[in-house]
Amino acid sequence: MLSRRRFLQASSLLSLSPVLPKILENTARAAVAEGDERVLVVVQLDGGNDGLNTVVPFADDAYAKARSKLRLETDKLHKLHDQLALHPSMKGAKQLFDDGRLCIAQGVGYPNPDRSHFRSMRIWQTGSFDDDRHDSYGWLGSALDEVNRDRGDSSAAAVYVGDEQTPVALWARRSEATALARIEDMKLELGPLLTRPTDAAGKDASLEQFVSRQVLTAYAGAETFERRHSLLQSAATKYPDTTLGSRLGLISQLIQSGARARVYYTLQSGYDTHSSQLYTHARLLREFSEGIKAFLDDLKAAKLDDRVVLLAFSEFGRRVNENDSQGTDHGTAGPVFLAGSKVNAGLLGNAPDLVNLADGDLVMQMDFRQIYASLLEDWLGVSQLKVLGMTFAKTRVLAT
Amino acid sequence: MCAQNATTREPVWQPYEPCAEMPWNLERVVHLHRRAGFAAPWPRLEHDLAAGPRVAIDGLVRPDQAASGDFELMARTIGDAATASGSAERLKAWWLYRMLLTADPLGERLALMWHNHFATSNRKVQDPVRMREQNELFRKYGRARFGELLAAVLKHPAMLAWLDADSNRQGHPNENLARETMELFTLGIGNYSEQDIKEAARALTGWTIEGNAFALVEARHDAGEKSILGRRGTLSGDDLLRLLLEQPATAKRLAWRICNTLMGEGAIDQSAVAELAESLRAKELDIGWAVETVLRSRLFFSPANMRSRVLGPAEFVVGSLRALELNEPPPSTLLLAEWTARMGQDLFYPPNVGGWNEGRTWLASRMIVARANFAAALAEGRLWHPARQVQIQELARRHGGANDLRQAAVWFAKLFFGNESPANVEEAVAAAEAGASDHSGAHLVALFLARPEYQLA
Repeated sequence: MLSRRRFLQASSLLSLSPVLPKILENTARAAVAEGDERVLVVVQLDGGNDGLNTVVPFADDAYAKARSKLRLETDKLHKLHDQLALHPSMKGAKQLFDDGRLCIAQGVGYPNPDRSHFRSMRIWQTGSFDDDRHDSYGWLGSALDEVNRDRGDSSAAAVYVGDEQTPVALWARRSEATALARIEDMKLELGPLLTRPTDAAGKDASLEQFVSRQVLTAYAGAETFERRHSLLQSAATKYPDTTLGSRLGLISQLIQSGARARVYYTLQSGYDTHSSQLYTHARLLREFSEGIKAFLDDLKAAKLDDRVVLLAFSEFGRRVNENDSQGTDHGTAGPVFLAGSKVNAGLLGNAPDLVNLADGDLVMQMDFRQIYASLLEDWLGVSQLKVLGMTFAKTRVLAT
Repeated sequence: MCAQNATTREPVWQPYEPCAEMPWNLERVVHLHRRAGFAAPWPRLEHDLAAGPRVAIDGLVRPDQAASGDFELMARTIGDAATASGSAERLKAWWLYRMLLTADPLGERLALMWHNHFATSNRKVQDPVRMREQNELFRKYGRARFGELLAAVLKHPAMLAWLDADSNRQGHPNENLARETMELFTLGIGNYSEQDIKEAARALTGWTIEGNAFALVEARHDAGEKSILGRRGTLSGDDLLRLLLEQPATAKRLAWRICNTLMGEGAIDQSAVAELAESLRAKELDIGWAVETVLRSRLFFSPANMRSRVLGPAEFVVGSLRALELNEPPPSTLLLAEWTARMGQDLFYPPNVGGWNEGRTWLASRMIVARANFAAALAEGRLWHPARQVQIQELARRHGGANDLRQAAVWFAKLFFGNESPANVEEAVAAAEAGASDHSGAHLVALFLARPEYQLA
């Protein structure tokens, strides 16, 4: 290993340069100006989350009847009111709820539900039922295309955080979606020496000035990032040591470092609980709940919570009746979560109707595109018609 | 002739002739190779410096393919293994292998340009065989008449799958192929109406893939009357391509693409592009002719065009290894593919049909960090399996007679920039000494690669 640390200690020229602080100050200011826009963070709960054991209608006798093995004990639940409660492992989410930072939209789905993971996910990600469009552009990619078209540039971009392939939700005609898997991608292993005075003033500086400034800023930013990252380990806000926790931590770091992305997307996998669901589902919901709690607290501490809304969805819920393997099979509508200081906190829609089912499945109360419509128009500032091709009555998921 | 004649108007793309103000020096040799051919090793620079611009450019536009039989054989073996495995990663590695060891670096550079022009992603095509075939088209027709390239690429399964040709049927048009063909591949935005796109989509109905090849299914083709760009008739897909190739806007977009690749930011104005486009029309859109004209031009070697273009990730990675003669034995090209992806250029996976934006957008913070980290990995021999110690100091000694760090720095500056700017040398030496590393020659080279100046060609 080239000794980066030793190198930085020795690189006194760096600190002696009289021009450097001014440059960094300028670029830091520029970064804030560029990065003060609203951000949407999407968490995909992959595999089909069992909504009934997430937002639990504990007072409904039909729940106990449908879930003889998987029924969650009432006294361990986190009560939202006298009918509904969150899963026992969702303490963090309950705190967010009480704190006015969590909105739960109930019974969200779409007409003629499809029980294929693949197709249903494509429907959610593209907002389209047309199979021909399932490999082209996603709802968020199209939204960013609109933002960029309105502005006449390509500055609005998306970042996918994860090892998996970038989801179709972010695919766009022009806007960029980049993937970031590792925190190492942000760390500098080489400490180059940057001493040359550079005039960073002026937006249309020469190419050479631009390159120098970009390189300087990147190296200084990587330093800051690493300092922040190590600070983070000991800070009051701790991220749970889970895949989702570290992914959300990375997203927070990116937002805090002034990255320009308008949309961040990540996923938590494992929700396809066909058998022995109790333990797995409890673990998943704990990771989810603790992850978003840590994320929102972190952003709040950084005074960025006004700029960020988090959306969590799954491609479908699961069947009302448990199966014979102590699990549940693919179902239909389920809860969608919106979290942040700017959401319309509380429960939207009614508790699930476990009596009037369609084919043994919950009937949807709300089309997911009604939520998209609200986020598109009232958060990202683009026309829902242009993105979704139709106009929906917006579900009020954001605080007014 | 060096001085511009004030009274008679010289042709914009007049050939470069060395003169007092614009001498044929090492800087220009380095410029030529970094811009047009993934950089060059020291012996090639020395040869071209002595031989003069005509011979140097001949070497790029008409490369000596005599010695490339073994290379082609090995490249084919690697490519076949990649496609047999179905692995897109190995396909990326195959292309990087070609870029590193080819005897025709300009050909690979042009293939990369066409990959960006006809940006197709395996994300949707999901077929390394088709992606490789398309890539070979970029090589086969990369210097041909543009019409041949256009037809070959559009009528290949990779593009047909990428832009939904199969769902474009009579009565149920899918405009994807028509729109991108007009907006990106030929005319450019603003040179057609939405109605033209609708009608062009009709002309392209029936195009699909059968087996593993292009097919026209007559039953799905809309043979009705259409009106595209003012032309009326029962226009077919082939008619559409002919029509597009006749348009002045297509020549202009082609000229723009070539200039955007070979000329730097602000090096030329719109009139130069327009002039090249005019000549291209007279030459039946002969790509090779235009490339050669640009490379031989006075504009190409003018100070305004020097170090005025941001190197793309593949150019950065491949160019560094070629210049430093670290391409034999080649590093793990699988690792190189990961590095270029980290720098923002995931080969065979362009971000969308518009391709990479290039230029200044290559310098987002994360991408710069990746470049610096690549430099560290190169210096530490971590690009090879197993990791090995790179003999960079030895190279500086052999070619530059360098016996110490400072002399090595002077030689690196010549190899990378064609001159020895004191700032480059002094700062790099100070940094390398401060680093107190065991292999300081390698460390020194990493510091050069991470410098702002190195990002430009």
